[in-house]
Order: sequence, then C-alpha cells, then structure tokens
Amino acid sequence: MKAKRTVITFGDMRVGKDSDRSKRTPTVRKVKSAIVPVDRIKVPGAGRPRVETGGSAVADLGAPTAVRPTLAEQAALDKIDLSVDLAPEHGGLMLANPIMVASGTFGYGVEYDEVVDVQRLGAICCKGTTLRPRAGNPPPRVTETPGGMLNSIGLQNPGVDAVIEKYGPLWQGWKVPVIVNIAGESIEDYVEVARRLDGVPGVAGIELNISCPNVGKGGLQFAIDRDAARAVTAAVRRATDLPLLVKLSPNVADVRPIAKAIEEAGADAITAINTLSGLAVSADRTRAFLGNTYGGLSGPAIKPVALRVVYEVAQVVSIPIVGIGGVTSLADVLDFMACGAVAVQVGTAIFADPELPVRLGDELRAECLARGLSSCAPLVGTALPKRAGAPSAKGAEYRP
Amino acid sequence: MTMRLVSAELVESRQILPGQWIQSFAAPELATGSRAGQFVHVRTGDYSGLVLRRPFSINTADPATGIVTLHFRTVGRGTEWLTRTREGDRLDMLGPLGRPFEVDPRSHHLLLIAGGLGMAGIRMLADEAVRDGRQVVVLFGAQSASNVYPSSLLPDEVEYVVATDDGSLGHHGFVTELVAEYEAWADQAFACGPHPMLARLAQLAAGRRARLGVAKLGRKRGGGKADPLGSTAARRKSFLQVSMEQTMGCAVGACLGCTVIGVDGPLRVCREGPVFAAEEIAWPNA
Ligand SMILES: Cc1cc2nc3c(=O)[nH]c(=O)nc-3n(C[C@H](O)[C@H](O)[C@H](O)COP(=O)(O)OP(=O)(O)OC[C@H]3O[C@@H](n4cnc5c(N)ncnc54)[C@H](O)[C@@H]3O)c2cc1C
Ligand SMILES: Cc1cc2nc3c(=O)[nH]c(=O)nc-3n(C[C@H](O)[C@H](O)[C@H](O)COP(=O)(O)O)c2cc1C
Ligand code: FES
Repeated sequence: MKAKRTVITFGDMRVGKDSDRSKRTPTVRKVKSAIVPVDRIKVPGAGRPRVETGGSAVADLGAPTAVRPTLAEQAALDKIDLSVDLAPEHGGLMLANPIMVASGTFGYGVEYDEVVDVQRLGAICCKGTTLRPRAGNPPPRVTETPGGMLNSIGLQNPGVDAVIEKYGPLWQGWKVPVIVNIAGESIEDYVEVARRLDGVPGVAGIELNISCPNVGKGGLQFAIDRDAARAVTAAVRRATDLPLLVKLSPNVADVRPIAKAIEEAGADAITAINTLSGLAVSADRTRAFLGNTYGGLSGPAIKPVALRVVYEVAQVVSIPIVGIGGVTSLADVLDFMACGAVAVQVGTAIFADPELPVRLGDELRAECLARGLSSCAPLVGTALPKRAGAPSAKGAEYRP
Repeated sequence: MTMRLVSAELVESRQILPGQWIQSFAAPELATGSRAGQFVHVRTGDYSGLVLRRPFSINTADPATGIVTLHFRTVGRGTEWLTRTREGDRLDMLGPLGRPFEVDPRSHHLLLIAGGLGMAGIRMLADEAVRDGRQVVVLFGAQSASNVYPSSLLPDEVEYVVATDDGSLGHHGFVTELVAEYEAWADQAFACGPHPMLARLAQLAAGRRARLGVAKLGRKRGGGKADPLGSTAARRKSFLQVSMEQTMGCAVGACLGCTVIGVDGPLRVCREGPVFAAEEIAWPNA
C-alpha cells in the first residue's frame, strides 16, 4: 500500500493530511489516524452498488437486485473498517457499521427477519419499553403526511420484564447489538427499568427516550427541561453500567443547553432526533384524525430539522452523536455524518424499503472504497463551521 | 408461507366499475401459498413523496398461472398512481401478510358478506370454498346499481344476492338485512366491509344461537379447556370471521400502528388480523 500524500476529495473541497479537521470534529477522536488510503481498486458503480432494472420510473420499483462484487473487490471492501464505538469512555459499545434501526420502527428485531438479515445491521434500537405494560393510544395511530408520517402509538409495550423474558435469550445469540429504548413517567420509572436491564445478557445498551411527560413535574417533558434531562440522565447513569444513549427531542427552542447537560450527567452518546409534534385532520374535518389527537412527525420531511439539531449539538458536546430523521439514502447518511454524526438510525423509511438499512451499510462501504478511505471516520464533521464563533456556529438563529 | 419482497409484473389492468380496478400481476411467489384473507403491502411511486406502502387484499391467487389480482378503488394518491402503471411494469410487493380466514372442515354452507370494496377481502375465499366443494352464498351491498360487483367475476357455483342503498338493484336497503334469511342455512359466515357493517353483523352473530336454538360449532360441553381467543382453533370454530382495515405503517407487526381495540386489548390488524373472529373485537356499540 502506498501511503504517501493523503489527499481526499470531498466534493469540490480538498483536505490535506495537515488539515486540522480533527479539531473541528469533537465527536470523533481517531480522525487523523483514519485517513489512510487503501489501494484503489476500480469498483463498478461504487457508491451505487444497487442497479435498477431500467425502464420507466415505475419499473424501477421492483424489488432491487444487487450486483455482486468480484472476489478482489470484496476483499478490498472487507478491508474497510466501518466500526464505530458509541461508548468510548464507558466500556465501549462497538457497532460493526454505523447504520442502526430506530426505536419503534423495527419492533424487537424479529418482525422483519424473514426479509432482512438483521445480523448485518449496525445495531437495533427496540420499541420503547416501560416499567409496566402499556396498551398505548386509541386508534387510528398512524397516517401519511407530505414526505412523512404521523404516529401516536403511545408506547404500547409489554413492560420491561416481559421484554427481557421474551427477547433476552434470543438477543443473546445475536451478533448485532440490541439497544433497549426506555421510557418512563418519573425518574424512578427510568431508574427501575435501567436496573432491571443491567446485566441482562443480550442487552448491549440503553437509549433513553426522554420525550415523555414527567408526571411528577406537572407533565412537562423531560426532554424540554434542561434540569429534568440532566436529572434523569444522571439517575440512570448511577443505576447501570450499560452504555447509555440519550435521545433528544426537537420540540425545544434551543437544544444545546439540554445536550450539554446530558453530556455532563454522564451519557455515553446522544441520539437525535425524536419525532416533531404534529396534527392531522379527519377526512370530514370534524375532528383530529389520530385517536390521540397529536402525533409525532417522522420521515424525509424532518431531515432538515434533524440535521440542524445534529449540527448544533456537535458543536457543544464531545461525546458521539447518532443522527436520526428522514434517512432514505446514502446521501442522507453522508449529510448526517458531515454535520457531526458518527452513526445514523433509519426509521420510517424501513416501512417502504425494509432492506434499506442493510443496503446503506454496503453502500457506505463502497463509498469509502471509492474515496480511498479505510474507514468512514473522515466523513464525520466535514460540514461543521471552521472556527468557533463563526456565524454558522450560533445555532438556529435564522431570520425568516 | 413466509412473507417476501416480491417483484410483481403487471400483466393486465382493467377498470371494472367507475373508479374500481382489477389488476393482474405475474407473481408466482405470491400466487403459491397465499390464502384467502391475506394481503400484500404495495410500494407506490416514491417520486411523488409517498413514504408508506399501501395494503391491499389478495383478491385472487392462481398457483397454476402464477397470477395474483388486486381489486381497488381510487381514493387517493397511491391508488391513483396504481392506475397509471403499465403492463410490464414491476411493482414491489411485500407479502403474503396477515392471518387468513379459517374455515371449519365441517362447514358445508358458507355465507360471505361484502360491503363495497369488501368484495376484495372475501373474493378469494369464494374460490377456495368452491374448490373444496362447499356451498357458497355471497351477499353484497353497494350504494347503487352502478357500483355493484359484476356477477360474471364470481365463480358460477356461487349464489349471489345484492342489496343497494337506493334500491336500484336487488334488495332496497343494507346488506345486513339479508342475513336473517341465511343465518339458519349458514354453518359459518365471513365478512369484509365498512366498520358499521361489521359491527352490525357481529351483533347479529351474537344473538344467532338464541334465535335459532342451534348448537354452536365446536367442542361439546365438558370437552376440556376452550381454545384461547385468537388461536386458529378458536377462529375455526367461530361462526363469524371479519376482515378489518386500519391505517398501516410496517404491515409486519413491528410498529404497532395498525391496532384495533380487542376485548383483551389492542390487536394488530397486520399480524393478529386482518381476519378476526367477531368475539375478539370490542365493538363500539356492543
Ligand atoms: C388489510 C387491508 C386490506 C385492504 N384491501 C383493500 C382492497 O383490497 N381494495 C381497496 O381498494 N382497498 C383496500 N384497503 C384500503 C387501502 O389500503 C386504501 O384504500 C389505500 O391505502 C388508499 O391509498 P391512497 O394513497 O389511494 O389514499 P390516501 O387517502 O392518499 O392514503 C393516505 C394514507 O392513508 C391510508 N389509508 C387510506 N384509506 C385507508 C383504508 N381504508 N384502510 C387503511 N389505510 C388507508 C393509506 O394507506 C395511506 O397511508 C385495504 C386496507 C387494509 C388495511
Ligand atoms: C411508528 C413509530 C414509532 C416510534 N416509537 C418510538 C419509541 O418507542 N421510542 C423512541 O424513542 N422513538 C420512537 N419513534 C421515533 C423514531 O425512533 C425516530 O426518532 C423518528 O421516527 C425519526 O426518524 P425517521 O424519520 O427515520 O423515522 C417512533 C417512530 C415511529 C414512526
Ligand atoms: S402496520 Fe405496523 S404493526 Fe401493523
């Protein structure tokens, strides 16, 4: 391997070895060492290994057929290290690749297993789990909206004990890490769920869904109150040794103080974003469409909001960030990475295209090869402001 | 059969009634092994910003030719997109999904009840029943003669009785009013249609035993434990099975988006359903 001058082209921008890019990407520590070019091997259609069968736009909708790489190509692809650690300060949470599936869209990892090789995912975040079983919200619970969907499932789940009993043994045999997404109505609820998950074989980590009303505090969401977010994170941190991810809500005026508080309270990583609060009207316009009136907006429609949040948070925390919101293509993955995410979660897009998350992992690998990268770390943070305090570093200060 | 992602080629598309279409697809993987009551989740054109698939009942499935048909009404962007597909186009279908109708092997007389597009939900059961040598009566309700499903599209062996809301064809009134005439004859009933129709049928089915003084199908008294609600065995013994609809996300049981309220809590239409025994559902006016 010839490792002379390491110049990587990011679109029209050239990045040299002497670039101080790593200083601008606080979420990834190994940026410099990762810029090692692998032998350039021509990969037909690299970055786009999926070949459409041609014809009209309609004909392209048939189930995709992937082009198999040759042995040499495969060997080069296999050399690329897509692994990412989501808990580098706390024992580690190693993902084989940075493409995860988002909580609530992939059940417990078993529902899609007839059509998806779940072991090839970076990680699975399971459905939101609470201390006691929950029946969820009245139907209807989902509806499509322009470029997205609204859901109001209401955290239907069988309770943490049933989840452990039913899925723990199964997950234990899996190669793919399973992160249990947890929710509660009080700090004590969260702590108790985390305690019960602590030490359970097959549970690789915890993702705190703090977009829940804090019943003890007048129903205010933990996620919109910096002190509540700090308190719940700190309490769960004390209760478990499991890697701890905390999921941000976008439904706040300024997400940065909250993200900072969560980092200070000991979270290993931040995941962002959860859904945006929304509403749909019934066809006859006599009431709200969803049984619960309000729902959470997800899908491509929320991607710009998610990017903005990741971009802001990346500038104030140094723990890893996982980007979530409207990922449907490799370009979306690269956008999130450029804004500072080390990994992404795919949610709503799975409903249309269950194979997407696995395919994105393959596409990301091919993309790294095509760019001469031995890992995807150099892709992280490339769009972040060059100097702290530059106008673009100020956050959501747009003036319509 | 386990579900798959299938690339289904459109071979024929025809409008059978105003706004109603039957499309035939070459999809041997679906045609073999699908059962009446199951459905497919179809990916519609994503260039127009649609993010969810659309669920459709498998209207017919012919293992010999490898052809499955869907029967749908254009009600929005997804179904309109479907009407613009052309022969030779390939559609991405996830299926077969959900649990099918369960016919008791001892049932000779099957009453099939459909309201409007509900015909698509029970159409395949008529084929299966005729194939198995059972007698079939189809009761069908529509607004008026112009939306009555053509009898030529049903197997010849089937007795077809129509009701229209405006009386322009057949019985003047609701299809549920025809049930009384057949409830003594029928061993089992299977229905698909608007929610109020299904709720009314459930009410009728609940009172049937008392009215007729007939023995219920199934275990004799003292014959051991009853089959658990929702099990295949319990459904097989149920007089009325209904095929229900709900807006869907995943259609594989992962998102919990498609629930209806059952007597024991929420039920997923895509996984526990779309066919349920009437006793499993908490009907609003029960
Ligand atoms: C199990 C099942 C089987 C079905 N079988 C058939 C069938 O055989 N023939 C047929 O014509 N229709 C059937 N439907 C209803 C069909 O799915 C909807 O008419 C269709 O999704 C409308 O899509 P659209 O984009 O044209 O309408 P839009 O109104 O633009 O749809 C917007 C959203 O609402 C959903 N939606 C709208 N109406 C319904 C509905 N009645 N039920 C569930 N979701 C709905 C759509 O899927 C979509 O997500 C079935 C529904 C279910 C759940
Ligand atoms: C049907 C549905 C259920 C969800 N349930 C949960 C949940 O239980 N816990 C959670 O933290 N997020 C939940 N989410 C939010 C997703 O994990 C994700 O944050 C959001 O959908 C944005 O990503 P997307 O645009 O890729 O879908 C749910 C989303 C959907 C669509
Ligand atoms: S549609 Fe997702 S659980 Fe039924």
